[in-house]
Amino acid sequence: MRTAFSRLVILSGILLNAPHVFAHHSFGAEYDSARPVTLTGVVTRIDWSNPHVYIYIDVKGENGQVTSWALEGHPPNTLRRTGWTRAALKETDTITVTGWMSKDGSNRMAGREVTLPDGKKLFLGPPAQ
Amino acid sequence: MMKMACWFIIVGLPVCVFAQNTAGGKNASPDKLRRDASGKPDLSGIWQGIGVSLFGETGEVRPGEGRASTWGPSPGPPPYQDWAVSKVKALASDDRKDPSVQCKMAGTPRITGIPVPFEIAQTPKKTYILYESNHIFRIIPTGGRPHPSPDELDPTYMGDSIGRWDGDTFVVDVTGFNDKTWLPGPGHFHSDALHVVERYTLQPNDTILYEATMEDPKIFTKPWQYRLILRHPPRDERIMEAECQENNQDLEHIVPGK
Repeated sequence: MRTAFSRLVILSGILLNAPHVFAHHSFGAEYDSARPVTLTGVVTRIDWSNPHVYIYIDVKGENGQVTSWALEGHPPNTLRRTGWTRAALKETDTITVTGWMSKDGSNRMAGREVTLPDGKKLFLGPPAQ
Repeated sequence: MMKMACWFIIVGLPVCVFAQNTAGGKNASPDKLRRDASGKPDLSGIWQGIGVSLFGETGEVRPGEGRASTWGPSPGPPPYQDWAVSKVKALASDDRKDPSVQCKMAGTPRITGIPVPFEIAQTPKKTYILYESNHIFRIIPTGGRPHPSPDELDPTYMGDSIGRWDGDTFVVDVTGFNDKTWLPGPGHFHSDALHVVERYTLQPNDTILYEATMEDPKIFTKPWQYRLILRHPPRDERIMEAECQENNQDLEHIVPGK
């Protein structure tokens, strides 16, 4: 009987589904959880690379000025296991991405969720820590 | 089946109480263990501890495995000698100092807990662990040979491993480390005197209770333990390549003192 094997153990609260973290670095080392951001732009480059995938987009501001942004995500193998394929996205696609701004002031963000041109939503990286 | 209750203690960290199977202890059912041709518990297969890569956004696990990521009593903080505490704090405040952020091998036992899978291949005289991270591998002889003598043992990131069976628990003695990796946890440096004993105990539900005991007389006041529950992926998977150096932009964008 399975319950006959049981005992109580006290843990400091680590659950399997809690650590949705970057495997490579802590979230707070590079990104600001107090500065969420949503951007819509045109994909100009995709680096399907380790230790992070980077998607580069051009975002047109209200004054018509175009600003380039880098979106950081999980590594390729993690994205593949969570539903991405390389064919999911291509240059010239228009996407919307939510995430958090970088701390160093550069045009980089930790990408959380990407809305693809067909409306499908995929997670790109972990939630803010 | 595991039952769990959580509440928040004064420092804001959730404390959870789990009722779960024991670590291959007196109440386990060894007859239910998956075994190899020689009768040893068969550790072969793909495994991962905590994290998203195998288990996705929802932390999906196979039925009957529970959702805890660790087991046993809390080991508390690593028992650093007084002089080392300030060094740990300084290292922890700057991710650029983290060897893994620098794309170095994660070291033993830290690599077991990163959210990246690995495969164990158990054969009669050697057990192999093939890590997806950086394509690191460990070859663990089980035929009874000792570690090479200190004169012959060049310090390495993953150390020199020797395996043996203690009943149904696979025990790996690891020595011969350099001081270029961290133990699990922010800033948790170690010296070249590190000695690790890992215990892999297969459970009737085909999970592994993993325990690493770390001794380091140059920096610790006593041994310290690290425990994980290792699981198979919830669906068919394979170990893929993950070469960390190819586009590591983080070192130039990390802001110290977070």
